[in-house]
Amino acid sequence: MIENSFNRRAFLKVLGWGGATVALSGCGNTSVEDGKEFVTSYVQTADYIIPSIGTYFNSTCAQCDAGCGIMGRVREGRVLKLEGNPKSSINNGKMCGLGQAGVQAHYNPDRIREPLLRNGDKGEAITWEKALGLINEKVGGVGAENIAFLTGGVSGHVKVLLKNYLDALGSGHHYVYEAVAPSIMRAANKRAYGVEMPRLRLDKAKVILSFGADFLGSWISPVHFSQQYARFRKADNGERGVLVQVESKMTLTGANADRWLAIRPGTEGILALGLINALAAAGLSVPGDVAAVVKEYTTDRVSKDTGVSVEHIGKLAALLKGRSPSLIIAGSAAEGYAHGSQNAAAIALLNQVLGNVGKTVEGSFSMPFPQMTPSAGSRQALQVLNDNMLQDKVKVLFSYGANPVFTAPASMKLKESLKKVPFKVAFAHYMDETAVEADLVLPLNSALEDWGTVMPEYIAEGAQLNIRQPLMEKLHPGTLGMGDMLLALLKQRRPDEYKGYEDFYSYLRNAMVSNKGALGGANADDDTFWEAALSHGMVKLAGSPVNISSHISANGLVVPAPFVEDSAYPLHLIPAVSASLRDGRNANEPWLQESPDPLTTIVWDSWVEMHPKTAAKLGIVEGDIVEVASKSGSIKAQVYVFTGIHPDVISVPLGYGHEAMGRYAKGVGVNAFKILDPVFDKETGELAMHETRVKVSKAGQRVIIVKDEGPAGGNQMGRKIAVRMSSDKVNLSKEV
Amino acid sequence: MYCFLRLSVLLVGLIFSASSYAANAVQPLTTADDLGPKVEQPIEFPHDRHAGDAAKGGMQINCMYCHTYARRSIVAGIPPLQKCIGCHQSIESVRETPRIKKLFEYWEAKKAVPWKKVHDLPDFVRFNHERHIQRFVFAQNKPVQEACGYCHGDVKTMTVARRQKPLSMGWCVSCHQKDHPVDATSTKTTHGPNDCWQCHK
Ligand code: SF4
Repeated sequence: MIENSFNRRAFLKVLGWGGATVALSGCGNTSVEDGKEFVTSYVQTADYIIPSIGTYFNSTCAQCDAGCGIMGRVREGRVLKLEGNPKSSINNGKMCGLGQAGVQAHYNPDRIREPLLRNGDKGEAITWEKALGLINEKVGGVGAENIAFLTGGVSGHVKVLLKNYLDALGSGHHYVYEAVAPSIMRAANKRAYGVEMPRLRLDKAKVILSFGADFLGSWISPVHFSQQYARFRKADNGERGVLVQVESKMTLTGANADRWLAIRPGTEGILALGLINALAAAGLSVPGDVAAVVKEYTTDRVSKDTGVSVEHIGKLAALLKGRSPSLIIAGSAAEGYAHGSQNAAAIALLNQVLGNVGKTVEGSFSMPFPQMTPSAGSRQALQVLNDNMLQDKVKVLFSYGANPVFTAPASMKLKESLKKVPFKVAFAHYMDETAVEADLVLPLNSALEDWGTVMPEYIAEGAQLNIRQPLMEKLHPGTLGMGDMLLALLKQRRPDEYKGYEDFYSYLRNAMVSNKGALGGANADDDTFWEAALSHGMVKLAGSPVNISSHISANGLVVPAPFVEDSAYPLHLIPAVSASLRDGRNANEPWLQESPDPLTTIVWDSWVEMHPKTAAKLGIVEGDIVEVASKSGSIKAQVYVFTGIHPDVISVPLGYGHEAMGRYAKGVGVNAFKILDPVFDKETGELAMHETRVKVSKAGQRVIIVKDEGPAGGNQMGRKIAVRMSSDKVNLSKEV
Repeated sequence: MYCFLRLSVLLVGLIFSASSYAANAVQPLTTADDLGPKVEQPIEFPHDRHAGDAAKGGMQINCMYCHTYARRSIVAGIPPLQKCIGCHQSIESVRETPRIKKLFEYWEAKKAVPWKKVHDLPDFVRFNHERHIQRFVFAQNKPVQEACGYCHGDVKTMTVARRQKPLSMGWCVSCHQKDHPVDATSTKTTHGPNDCWQCHK
């Protein structure tokens, strides 16, 4: 065939000519652009700006709420790479992969570039004057009680302006919503220690027992905790700390632990009480009322309930008794149940009994400017807003920093509720699921071209106010910062008060400079103070220490018996919060999609993690597409068989499965938020994220999973690497 | 039939390659006398007036006064507009000439002058100005115009600069192979580096 129609020789001849041109354009001087390319030059510049040499400017990471300080390398007016700011006590010059991807949020091709007004199914570009005028008209036309502002966690001066705007409107309806927020932990900490966010001293502990807190991956302030963890592992006195992780699905932290214990989902509190009982039996002094509560939690019973062997409970108790201080951490895995608050209380009680409070659980600081402290987001806020929308109480809805249409469970029917709101404004970076529903979409500056201040919720060393400043000029002239928009809106309502500020920058500078005394600049003149604040990327605050209380009491502590099996929905679903995708707000940054999940090495897709035993029982192998159905809905994804999970549990990562947002996020994977059952923590009313029960059935297809991992027990150049061994073959007698 | 097909395929290929060759051939790689293409600049900058000899009406300004980055960066850079204005705002005599008027228009609009590159190297070549200036001007005490001139020619006689040398690898190597004194006073000599990675990083 080939011989006849197009022989190899003729083909080579053609290629020869083509090849010659390739060679000419590839290797000659033709890639040289003499007289074609422009040379970057400045109009005016500082002496320290030298072409081709990077200059670093400090700012604050916006990829998660930890608020790490960053330094952006800027060259020829473009920001190229981010590093950690060594002066920030949160991250001390380090960063995480999620933070690194911040440049992709900035240069993202899918950013919205001008205000868009709904016209049928389409968004029509309008001017800022028209957009702001429209808002003025709409909010003027309804009662203040019918205006609602939905935001993610906000802090700093944007929070102040937001509050002032709401005050100016006469409405107090600010709903702070975070899809994966540690709300249950805040409440439990408040009750046990008197502060919502005590400082955890991983570095001072000799043993850490973590109940599903992924502090190295995605929990609270992972970069900070990773650094403490390094000191915990390699303490100054040479004594290596021991980490035991108890959870139903292995997290990145679990994979780093000395001993990883798979626990039956929801029984974390039982184990904590069982450990108190075992410690009391081993001679630790335990107050009488606590002893009375825990005495029925005998090791045998606890082992039966939790699935953790008697031997391991014994070893764990001995370890905690022998090495003090220890640190017990309750993470979202222990708190994601209807009895999540009780689990957290039981775990806090273990901390108290062990005498860790004041040693590894320290007090915090109260901030001098309460109006700027972060507003703690919760899932409940969305529930309340949803109810109000259903009752037609919301006529104008603003949404900023949250994507509730993506993160709300399907059972909430949020999209339908939104249809009842006549005018919806979304401040957005992308046309995400919520912006698509809006009537007016206002494009935001990226975090690398915006002004602002950020006060992190978790205070690392001392209190600090982080500065966010532009690292380069705006990429798109049609975007605005949130602060600028709020200021423009405030000028409509309170012109006298705000007309003196040309833009948010001048407001911010004035607000900071006029309070310089409290911001550590009492002796500096205005310019010096401001320049120093910008160059450091933060100001240290004199926060007054808040002491921690430790009133040990088991009063009212009832941890329910383990789940009864549900034959229709036999498996528990754990929606996993991964270190890079979190709640999915950054899913349109391709680095995050292509960096392999640390445990499964899967890229660019969702997966269903399943224990080999469960898979065998269901006749499933790796790559099978399965349907995961809960009472609230179903999703389809590929199975990944993995031993780091309890056999009663399957896990699907969150953050995938966008239906909008942009080219890198849309259509990649499935959205596990959607099938969560509406079960709530009994005390706080938060969504119990781990309560969903599911059944799994094969959907018929099988795919090859795209992942970095080679075959188990694989070899490289004939040499065996990373040999896989089952844990009963390993001699652990010397270990934990 | 088959033969015909074959021929047409070949012809199409030929036309394609010939036309792409023609596109590439518009700008000769190097002219016989190594001159680069004439580059049209937004403002016809007179190098001769600024750097030329006093006898010929030049100001004899040091190259590094404007191309200040050459000694501290891999690129020589174009000075910020602010630098041009810094002098020209107090040179009344030429204030109303067309070029200077244009210059001030850019300044008032706060717009950078869109200068075109005259000396460009392929992206896989990393030439470091700083190394060369430090070596020849500061270590060997060579006159600045001579040192810059090794690669840029006698710029002080030009108006808009034009590439004078081939800037090809063989041309670079021909100089790197020569013996150069290590500093102004020493009799010790050394070659320029000839490791591939010095330039191809
Ligand atoms: S932990 Fe959060 S704030 Fe810190 S670098 Fe990572 S993404 Fe940024």
